[in-house]
Formats: sequence, structure tokens, C-alpha cells
Amino acid sequence: MKLEILKHFEDIGERFLLDISELDGTDTKVAGIYCLFAPTELVRAAGAIPVSLCGKREKPIADAEETLPPNLCPLIKSSYGYAVTNTCPFFAESDFLIGETTCDGKKKMYEFLGRIKPLHLMHLPYSTTEPHAISFWRDEILRLGRFLEESTGQKIDRDHLRFQIRIHNRIRKLLERIARFQAAEHAPLSGLTMMTVMESKSFFVYPEKYLDMLGEFIAEMESVAASGFSPFEPDAPRVLLTGCPLGKGSEKVLRIIEESGGAVVCMENCTGVKGLDLLVDEEEKDPFLALARRYLQIPCSCTTPNIGRINLLDRLISQYRIDAVVDLTWHCCHTYNIESRVVGDFVEGREVPFLHVETNYSTSDVEQLRTRIEAFLEMAGCRSNVRFANSRLN
Amino acid sequence: MPSSHEEMWEKLNLDIDAHAGLLEVLGKFYGDIYMSQQGRLRGMEYLDFVLSEVHGLRIKELQDAKVSGRKVIGTFCVFVPEEIVLAAGGIQIGLCAGAEVGKGEAEKVLPRNTCALIKSFVGFKLARLCPFIESCDLIVGETTCDGKKKAYEIFSDYSPIYVMEIPQMKNFSDRELWRSEILRFKTQVEETTGNKITADNLKEAIHLLNNRRRVLQRLNRLRAAVPVPISGRDALLINQISFYDDPERFTAKIGELCDELEERVKNGTGIAPEGTTRLMLSGCPMAVPNWKLPYIIESSGAVVVGEESCIGTRNTRDLVDESAGTIEGMIDAILDRYMKIDCACFTPNTERQENIVGMARDVGVKGVIHYALSFCQPYTMEAYKVEKALAKAGIPMLAIETDYSMEDVEQLKTRVEAFVEMVR
Amino acid sequence: MIPQQNESVVGIDIGSRSIELVVLDSGGPVRQVKVPTTFDPLGQCRKLMEWTGGMRVVATGYGRKLFAESFRLEKVSAITEIQAYALGTRYLHPEAKIVLDIGGQDTKVISLSDTGKVVKFEMNDRCAAGTGKFLEFMATALQVPLEEFGGFALGSDRRVQISSMCTVFAESEATSLMARGERPENIAMGLHAAIVQRTAAMLRRVGISTPLVFAGGVAHNLCVRQLLEEELRQPVIVPENPDMVGALGAALYGRNLDRSET
Repeated sequence: MKLEILKHFEDIGERFLLDISELDGTDTKVAGIYCLFAPTELVRAAGAIPVSLCGKREKPIADAEETLPPNLCPLIKSSYGYAVTNTCPFFAESDFLIGETTCDGKKKMYEFLGRIKPLHLMHLPYSTTEPHAISFWRDEILRLGRFLEESTGQKIDRDHLRFQIRIHNRIRKLLERIARFQAAEHAPLSGLTMMTVMESKSFFVYPEKYLDMLGEFIAEMESVAASGFSPFEPDAPRVLLTGCPLGKGSEKVLRIIEESGGAVVCMENCTGVKGLDLLVDEEEKDPFLALARRYLQIPCSCTTPNIGRINLLDRLISQYRIDAVVDLTWHCCHTYNIESRVVGDFVEGREVPFLHVETNYSTSDVEQLRTRIEAFLEMAGCRSNVRFANSRLN
Repeated sequence: MPSSHEEMWEKLNLDIDAHAGLLEVLGKFYGDIYMSQQGRLRGMEYLDFVLSEVHGLRIKELQDAKVSGRKVIGTFCVFVPEEIVLAAGGIQIGLCAGAEVGKGEAEKVLPRNTCALIKSFVGFKLARLCPFIESCDLIVGETTCDGKKKAYEIFSDYSPIYVMEIPQMKNFSDRELWRSEILRFKTQVEETTGNKITADNLKEAIHLLNNRRRVLQRLNRLRAAVPVPISGRDALLINQISFYDDPERFTAKIGELCDELEERVKNGTGIAPEGTTRLMLSGCPMAVPNWKLPYIIESSGAVVVGEESCIGTRNTRDLVDESAGTIEGMIDAILDRYMKIDCACFTPNTERQENIVGMARDVGVKGVIHYALSFCQPYTMEAYKVEKALAKAGIPMLAIETDYSMEDVEQLKTRVEAFVEMVR
Repeated sequence: MIPQQNESVVGIDIGSRSIELVVLDSGGPVRQVKVPTTFDPLGQCRKLMEWTGGMRVVATGYGRKLFAESFRLEKVSAITEIQAYALGTRYLHPEAKIVLDIGGQDTKVISLSDTGKVVKFEMNDRCAAGTGKFLEFMATALQVPLEEFGGFALGSDRRVQISSMCTVFAESEATSLMARGERPENIAMGLHAAIVQRTAAMLRRVGISTPLVFAGGVAHNLCVRQLLEEELRQPVIVPENPDMVGALGAALYGRNLDRSET
């Protein structure tokens, strides 16, 4: 069984490039972004189009290592490698970049990236609960606003910003609804398919069209869900994948879990549901303050202590009836790596089996990972002979 | 060491046997690296003594001070404004650790690819080997780097810790963030010590700590003379001890040592043979007893004449302006001074490159050895830029990445020797 | 007989796998010897040194310090392999701008100025990944004599991807490839390609220039040579005796010392 509409999600990158090429010759600017912390509402309110940049494949890493040290996460090396070899079409389309000080590696990498294209760096507060945090972050959003106005030549109109806030809230709500289909006893999509759907969220030129696409998808999903279809065996362990972001090209761990008989029904990471439940307050008089409040709640491991992630995991484990949690850390990502212990203590405290995996984009450890993950799923009290019936969906 | 110390260590709940082993190793290491040197200054005897009693008499002093009602505040970073602690009658102690101790314990709770400094302080805590940590009434962490920021979350399972947020940029709003953090810290210190900070005691504290910086600045000027009057190792030790010793006594003793140095410089007495290559270190801090790289350098026909690091010029270069009369004015002055710190946690931190090039020229070196702890991303990534900046100024640089273990000593020797051959 | 003249100098390169000795007189190298290091490097050196009495000796390589301390000869000194390879290469190929030396335990890249001075160098860290040791380990795993390993790899019909450069992980990768029925030649080719990629990255960090001289024991390996030329898209010069370059350089250093003393 294959949903026709999935094709739209698979091709969304190409669609984006087509739509953008039609805008050639206009004043429309493209803003390359790397992180969930970039307030896309503000980018759109300044008339620019935000797009996610490449960083999910192994290929350009060797070129990045000419400048960057080896003990750095593959996401950072890949992102820089794409930029320096000019092999990411979205990077090529970008007029300017928005970075943020989420981690040491990215923060310092942007110093190099800024030589290739104009780059605005947002400074994130690490302690989100201290009194200075919210006003500081609001100032940073205003500073980004000024940069955007200068780069696009377009003033940010408060009413237009409020309109963009409403649209982005609607997008988050629809994505959250899509993710929630997987909470059913018979999860209708494989984790890999869901990843493709979720990855679409930063590749659209026209928000209204994207909303329509999500709406159509939900309609189709409803009938699939009603049929009780699932690509997984009925007794497949329900796995929550948390940790560092992944996507097409770096889906190795997700793929291995599903090939080993696990059903990844939820991803708590920047590709998955992280932030989907956080809406911008549409009633708040000061839209900048509303943005600041919303974005500051993103439970990224760069904040300390990152209580939000624990709370979110707690809720997701119940909501998605999770049997096992796998925490993925990209090699040398200190914040997720160290936080893994905090997360592990919490998850095991809830008596849910927990596995921490540290790896990179290369395929060298696939067989070792497979052994560990299979053993983990066996240990989690699940039968080892359940196989993922991928064929039923593709 | 006298058994009275043992009683004290027991009270502090140290692992007595392991601690005895540590002191023995440390003593031997110190003997090999320090006591074997020829022509040392008489003034170094004081430092030899302080180091030999660093876990003994100094801890006793802290305990006695605690009995009299003073509080001990431990820190891991030169960002924590010591003026505030001192004004409130507290004693500030640097807890940074330079020994591969409790590594196994630390690696149970931290990833293996965490830098050696972080593993060391967590290891000291978990293995119950640091009397300083155990003497603290307040331990202060800060968000300088990813590793420390997140390791404090783990550390807090074993010991409460107060974390300051350090800005990562130097815009207007960063100043305001840092001001609010200094004020929050002031409130915390007042609560911990039970003492109010007044214009008078703050002024006095600023003056006292400036004096400590001034004497270290004087040391830095004198050590750069030709011929070199003091080994890099000894100068590093002095900087290291400044984090443990009583500031007033330390300032006086180092003042005397500088008088002796001045005499040497006047007489043209050097500690290294003529033609010894002058080098400078730059990068991560080297905490006691991390003397590995300076020792390798100084056994390879070179001498270290400056350290651009937190246990070095980064901590002593800038003074707090002493002209303010009100608390607000003094807090502003403290704010200004600490915002000048050019730690690699800042971005873009171009001033560090300028400072390194300037210093290399001032102290007159043939090359710079950039030292980064393995897995320290801010410093390893800046190494690339520092090398470029130095190359522009015609100064060669060697980038070293290592940790506290001894297994790479031979390889480091080859690299350092080859670098010395190259720049000679 | 070796001429016992004062102008003869000896360079000895004590590496992790082999010891090379070069005797140089005013005309050039007159004798070159290579012996395995074994577990008794000093004993091996002693044998080599028996007939060099009175000559100036310059040691290089891992054992240089041990050598200088043990043989308290009148005229003995030590220099690093980096300096030695730079000098040796300059002598053999005065036009060389960059030297790549892959030895038993180390990979070094040395960038030379127009006058042959070392201007920059890189060395692998403590891990032996991508060095001669790695090749030796893998050759043993595939049961091929080390000397034939390069030629063996060239008999491949496709290049399999080996992504790990860690000696331990790469072996397990090779094992799982064999379990999947991959031809050992193809696995060998994959291992060689992995070394070359790692080496090329190091070369790029120093800055690739031309001409490039490839020395050290691994330069004997035809497959590494070919792949390197492909990867860098430029010819690679291999000296006639690539593993003697360090000892030659040490001897040349000694000759310069002699000249500056007289």
C-alpha cells in the first residue's frame, strides 16, 4: 500500500527549488536556516523565505575537515562541507544565513561560514529560567528583525507578523495531528515515512499551499487509520527515538531500529515532534515578546538544566505508549551526549528500557549498531523474530 | 605529612588511601619536573612549600577560617568575579583540576570524549580526593562551554552547584545579561556569607585583586627578559598557585620573587643556555599538576616565556578600574573588566587573535605552541584562526591537542622538537 | 672496506619497524643498510655501528634519544624525522615542495620552502590509523604477505567502501565483508583507498603543492602510490629507496655540522 500523496512530501525539495526559480528577478530573498530556534514567522514577516540547509550526508565531510577539527559532530562538518563545496542547492539559493549559538561547535563553525555568505548570529540564553533570559532573548529577536529589514529592504509590519504567527501556529497544529496518528494501537506509518513527512516543514515557498497539502494528507491518513492498517507487526515494540536531529541521509539508526523489528512511532528531536506543541501566543499584544516566550521553551540540550525535554519525554512515553527509548547522539555532540545520562536516569526511572547510541554518518558501525539494537529490543522484552514489513507500505 | 592532616582529611571524608597515593605520585612528579631544575630563584622555595602543603596547611587554613565564620567559595573559571566574594569576606578557590584522577569514576557518568579538565574535577569529586571541593560552602559553575555547562548538571547530583550564565557575544545586550548575572551572584554571595557588600569592602577587594594582577604582570614582564631569568614551568606554577593561595600573602611573596628576578635581569643571568629557543604557549588552561607540555618543551631546547591562557595572561592582563566610589560604579567597572576576557567561548573573539600576535611580539618569541585539550571544540576551532593570524605576522605556530595522560609523550616530543628545529 | 675518513658521516633512522643506516662521504651515499627493529633496537644498532668507529653519527626516528644516550660517542647528535626527511628529500629531489612520509607508526606531511626549509608540518596523533602498522595488521588479517599487499589489492575488480580507519574497527569491517562473500582483493583495495583518503586530508590541511615526494616504507606499496596520484590528480615522486630518506637526511645533517665546525 502506498499513499499517492507521499510523493509530494518526497519531492518537496525539488518543488521548493522550482517555486523559487519562478521568483528569480523579483526582490524576494531566501534565508538559509540551520535550527528550530530561527523564528521563521519573523523571516516571513520581513518578506523572506526561510529554508533548511543541507547537513545530513557524509559526502562533504572530508572537505570540511580541511578546516574543521575531526572531533566535531558530523552535522556541523556536513553543513560546512556542503557550504564550502557549494553542493547544497538550498544554500546556493540563500541570500543570507541565520545561525544561533546553540552549541560550541556550531557557534565556532559559523565564524567560518560567515566568510562565504552574510550570516546573522542569534545569541541564545542557556539558562531559560533566570530573570534575564526572556528580555535578553526578545532583544535578540529584535536584533534579528533589524538584520532582516536591512537584508530584505522590507519593514516588519506588526500586523503582518501576527498573521504569520497564526499561519505558523496552524502548521504546527497540523503537523502535531499527523504525528499523533502514530499514537494509535496500529501506527499507520513507518518511522522512516513519518520522517519524510516531518522533514517537509522547512521546505515551502507558499505557506497556504503547504497548509493545504497537510490538510489533504490528514484526510487520507484518517481513512488509512480507520482501516486499521499498520506496516508493523502487531507485537512490534513501540520505540521512541530521541536526541540529535536526523534526516534523509542520516537516518541510519532509525532504519536499523525498524529493520530489527522495532516500530519507531515517535521522534523527540528537531526533525520530529520537538516544538510542535509549542504555539506562539496570538493574543499577546507584543508579538516579539510572544515569539521570545515560545522559542525559549524549545527543549534543546543547549539549555541548562533542560527540564523541558524531560517533561516532554514523560508526556510522549504515555501518549505514544512507548515500550523502549533509543537516544541518538552524534559523535562529539557534548550537550546531547552528557544529557543522555539525565534522560537515561529519567526513562529508566519510569521502567522503560533505554539505549544510548553515539555514532556518526558513516556506515562503518552499521553491523555493530544492528547487533546492539537487536539485542536491546530483545532485552526490552520483545520477540526478536518480528520483522519490519516495509514492503507493505512501499 | 603530619598525621594531623590525616585527621582533617578524614573529617572531609576523603578516600585516605587513594589520597595518600595521589600525594606520593604528585610529589614524585614534582620532583622530576621542578626540583631537577638548575639555577632556580630562591623565591621559588615559597612555591615549593605551598605546593607541598596544598592539600595540607592550606586546607587547614581554610578550615580555621571556616571555624571563624568565613565561607569558602570554589570556582572553575576566571569569569567568576572574585571581587564580590572577597568583599563579602569569603575566600575564593580555583577548583580546576589537572590530574588524571578518578577517570574511571568520571567516565561512569560522563562521555569518554569529554575534555580531561572536566573529567578531572568530576573525578576528584567522585573519587573523594579533593579537599578543596569538600571545604566549599558554595561551588560556582558557569556556562562557558558545552562540556562544562552540561557536566555541572551531572556534578549537581553529588554536590549543589550555582551556575552563572556567561554571554557568548559582546553586544550591548550581552553586557546587560552579564550585569544581571553579576548582581544575582552578589545576592547569592551575600546570602552564603551572611555579609553585605558595601562600597568600602568592595573597593578594598578590587584594590587587593588588582594588586595581585599587578604583581603577576610584573612577573610576566620580567620573565620575558633576554636571557630568560626564570623557567616557563616556574612561571606557570606561580600562576597556578595564585588560584589557591591567600591573595595578600601571595602578592607579597611574589613581589619579593620579582625583586630577585629584577636583580637577575640587571645582571644578565639566565636559566637556559644561550641559543635556547624562546616560545610562547597559547590556549587552554593548565591546572596543577598539568606540567606535561611545558616540561616537554623545556626539554627540547626551548624555553617558555609566556602563557596566553586563563592560568596566564588572560587572568592578569586587565585590571578593574578603581576610580568609582559607588557600588553601582564599581559593579560597572567589574563588568567592563570581565567582558574583556577573550575566552574562545566568545564569537567571533577576534580580539584573542590580536592579543596573541601582540604578546608574541612583545615577549619576542620564535614561535607559538597552541595547546588545546582533546575534545575542547572552542579552542581547537580557534587554533586554525590563530595560526592564520600568526602566519600573517610571520610567526610559526604548532597546534597540539592532548590530554593529561602520558601515553603520547614520545609523539609530542617529536613534534615539539621538530618545531624547535624549524623555528630556530 | 669502508673508508675510515673523517668526512664520512653516518645517519641512522631507528623506526618502530626497521632501522636504516646510511654512510655518506663527500661524493654521496656509499652504503645503505636496513634491518628489522626487533624487540632489541639497541642490540641491532650496536651491530650496525661496529664498523663506523670515529665517524660522526646522527640519529633520527623514535629511537633517536635512546640511541644518543646509549652510544655516548664523541660525535653523536639527534634530530627529528621531520627534519631528517626534509633534508633527505631536498638532497634527492631539490625541486620538492612537499614531503609525505608514511612510516610504521606515523604519517607526516612536511611542507618545504624554496630553499628547502621546513615551513609547516602535520603528524597523525597517537592513533596508528592509516600508517604502515595499519597495512601490516590488515595484510595479516587477509593472510597476504605485507610486501605483496599492494599488488594484491590492485587485483581487485571493484572498490568496497571501508569507512573506519581505526585498526580495530576496520578489521571487524573487513571481517563482516568477508562474511558477506566479498573478494579479499576488493577488501584490500577498500583498505588502501581508506588510507589514501585519510592521507589526502592531511595533505590538504598542510596545503597541497607540487612536486610531491612520497617517502617512508609505505611508499613501496604500489597501490597506495597509484591511488594517491588518482586522488590528488598529480604525479607523485617516489625516491629509489624511499625508506632510506630519513637516514640519509640524518647523515646530511651530520655533514653540515662537520662543515660548520671546520
